Amino acid sequence: MSAVLPKLPRVRFALCARTLDNFRGYSRQLQQCWDFHWIFSHVLLINGGASQGKSELRFHRYARCAGRWTDPGCCCVKAPVLPVLESWDARCCSRMNSSNQRDSDIQKKIDHEIRMRDGACKLLAACSQRDQALEAAKSLQTCSTRIMAYMSELQRMKEAQVMQKVTRRSSDAGPMDDRLPCKGKVAISDLRIPLMWKDTEYFKNKGELHRCAVFCLLQLGGEIFDTDMVIVDRTLTDICFDNTIVFSEASPGFELRVELYSCCSEDDYSAGSTPRKLASKLSSSLGRSAGKKLRAAMEPGPCSPVSNGGASPLLLPVPSVPGPKYHLLAHTTLSLSHVQDSFRTHDLTISGNEECSYWLPLYGSMCCRLAAQPRCMTQQMMSGCLKVKQCGGDPQSWRKVYAVLKGTSLFCYHRQEDVEANVEPAFTIAINKETRIRASDKDPQSKVQNICISNQYGGEEVMHTLTTDSRDDTHRWMEAFWQHFYDMSQWKQCCDDLMKIELPSPRKPAPVTPKQGSLYHEMVIESSDDLSSTVSDILARRLQELELRSQLGTSPTWMSMFEENNPKSAGRPRPCTSRLSGHSPCTPHRLPRSPMSPHRCPQLGLLSSDISLTSDSDSHCSTSPCSHHHGWPEPSSNFSLMSSSPSRLRPRTLSLDAKLSTLRGRGSGGGGTFQCPCQPAPSSLLAPIPISARSPLSQRSTQTTLSCSSSTSSNSSSNSEGSHSPESSEGVPFSRPSPARRSLRNLRARLDPRNWLQSQV
Amino acid sequence: MSNLYGDAMSYVPGQPIAAVVERVQIHKLQERNNLILGFSIGGGIDQDPGQNPFSENKSDKGIYVTRISPGGPADKAGLMMGDKIMQVNGYDMTMVTHDQARKKLTKKNEAVVRLLVTRKSLEEAVKQSMGVAPNCNTATRHY
Repeated sequence: MSAVLPKLPRVRFALCARTLDNFRGYSRQLQQCWDFHWIFSHVLLINGGASQGKSELRFHRYARCAGRWTDPGCCCVKAPVLPVLESWDARCCSRMNSSNQRDSDIQKKIDHEIRMRDGACKLLAACSQRDQALEAAKSLQTCSTRIMAYMSELQRMKEAQVMQKVTRRSSDAGPMDDRLPCKGKVAISDLRIPLMWKDTEYFKNKGELHRCAVFCLLQLGGEIFDTDMVIVDRTLTDICFDNTIVFSEASPGFELRVELYSCCSEDDYSAGSTPRKLASKLSSSLGRSAGKKLRAAMEPGPCSPVSNGGASPLLLPVPSVPGPKYHLLAHTTLSLSHVQDSFRTHDLTISGNEECSYWLPLYGSMCCRLAAQPRCMTQQMMSGCLKVKQCGGDPQSWRKVYAVLKGTSLFCYHRQEDVEANVEPAFTIAINKETRIRASDKDPQSKVQNICISNQYGGEEVMHTLTTDSRDDTHRWMEAFWQHFYDMSQWKQCCDDLMKIELPSPRKPAPVTPKQGSLYHEMVIESSDDLSSTVSDILARRLQELELRSQLGTSPTWMSMFEENNPKSAGRPRPCTSRLSGHSPCTPHRLPRSPMSPHRCPQLGLLSSDISLTSDSDSHCSTSPCSHHHGWPEPSSNFSLMSSSPSRLRPRTLSLDAKLSTLRGRGSGGGGTFQCPCQPAPSSLLAPIPISARSPLSQRSTQTTLSCSSSTSSNSSSNSEGSHSPESSEGVPFSRPSPARRSLRNLRARLDPRNWLQSQV
Repeated sequence: MSNLYGDAMSYVPGQPIAAVVERVQIHKLQERNNLILGFSIGGGIDQDPGQNPFSENKSDKGIYVTRISPGGPADKAGLMMGDKIMQVNGYDMTMVTHDQARKKLTKKNEAVVRLLVTRKSLEEAVKQSMGVAPNCNTATRHY
């Protein structure tokens, strides 16, 4: 039985306990005295107890010395014979044999984790680079947590065994009718934790940047996973973890514990941590109170705020590992009520304060997508041959089908082969929360009960009757239906519809954009090389054209386009204007540059500088022509530059900040005051561009919106002077549902968001 | 310039600047609900300095005047395109974000903004007229 452990001399204590409860109480006291973790791994009974009126129970005390499980001794307990204990020996062997498998599984897991832990310790001691050390420390933390979780599970299993024997014997076996709900898969993905830097912190350009390495530890039941490590500093607005973590064995009452660990990533680790001698002293001496703390650490819940850091505080003596140590920064627990098919925000409980070296200013919430797929939705719960009749039809219209119960329906196929062949089922009967199933009276002919399924389709009730060949089959089907209903009642909202869980697939490395500084460098201008001469030519031509046209009274073709669209946007004449004016800012900026680097001159409208991917996205890129100006010497030349550039505009992918500010600004765009009622003639110069730009705008694809529209909003927002600081950036709530979140985030991460904004004052 | 002082146009963080500046006083103009100054600014420490067409040193993150509305208050006060704004009403503009700069200029309860601006031509003018008493409107400020 004790094949796992080496044999060691045993020490016997004699304890007399009157009842099993006392006995248990004694053992608890023993635990407290010894400050070791008791694992009831072996219960040896000495069988001679019956005659002597005593039985012995041996508890092996486990401690960890030099990296191996050792058994320095055991405690023998003599207890008076109880009816409970009598039969223990008989059941013990069978029990042990059956549960040995599970124990040994866990033992194996523990051993594996211990080996990983040792490896991580060695790596940590050996590595010199900081990020290696951080990664090693992270795996150390994960392994320690897993070990603690496995050991607590082992203990619980043992205790459960002991309890079970007791209760089974003492109480008459009632109907063991505990219906267990089916398990399911729970997946958490797209974790995002917003940070709340002070604006002075965010923009201060001090030499050193306080950086922290963070990662998340997720625990559900016995499974513990960690996310990748992310380095966070002042330039980041959120901590994003792109991992998708799937837990495969979750019951409906699951508790998913999410913990955020962080570690200050400075050069010398001794700055913030306790001096080495003190740390080792702390870890090696465990008095009574420390033992209590350790036991508290054994509760499910991997972390305890032990001062000597994240190295496994449970097993002693623990060498304090040099190197970075992670500390718990925040945690939260998610359960079935938080499961939803979209992103949700949850509150975080933050531990630690500003004084800690590992502190990060968390906003206090966390966004993630928590999805659950119960087995009853994804797997076939029951299948077999049935005869189905729809009520209201003639009594002879029984159809023979092969029925499969899965998800929220009973699929009825003509033949069994159709299921594998993925042929459409003959018909489908819905089995959902509104379905009523009952067994009807015995059919006089076949002496088998029928099953009636009634659904409400629309307003009317539709009933189907099922019958099987034998009573056992009927019973099994009823049982399956009851189980299915029970599952659905337990999993609640997860059973309404199948939630998608995307398994993490090996991601291709994202296309690397050359880091030249900004998106503008990627744009290609198809105009001729020497812009300055072209510009002046075009300018002269346009001016002449307009003068002619205005004299003649006919408007240029693009003017008509502009006018056509006017009624469309009749509701928003102002934004129209502002959109036009919104283009000007780019231009004075561009013209002087053109001699310098013509090939870099970006297209109009795309230079709108409100691709502000940082949180401070007060993008003002508008200088509307001042009302006082008389002519358009410079601006118009720039406008003509715009018209010379291809009118085909590439829609920009904007960050959600900019997009939401667009939406907000558009609402207020009409009300914003603009500096200049543009003269119609020059304003029409701008017409081609916004018009072509407007068509995609009207389609309003979710992802892309043209920058000119956001320049509208920014124009309106900037025009309302400094007092009205546009809230577009701050007002955005953190729960942003968007199908393209990942891509936007990647975009944000990869592209340099620096622009060169211009504001009108 | 001596080694201790950075040039106004090429700011070295941490080093003091010596610059020849011009005082420009702009009276804001009431235009419906807004008080406008009539120019546009660009730049800031959160902006990409490489795209600044007016700066000599492309790492200069200062606030530059990018456009003057002809006939506007700024134009009348003598502000020129390409000027680098060093101070606004006493607030420093050499190390501010774009938004901070905009806010300093557009305070609603101020009718007048007094700017200290610098431009290359000023320096040259001073150098040329070295020995001659400088114009009362120009002053050398040490930052």
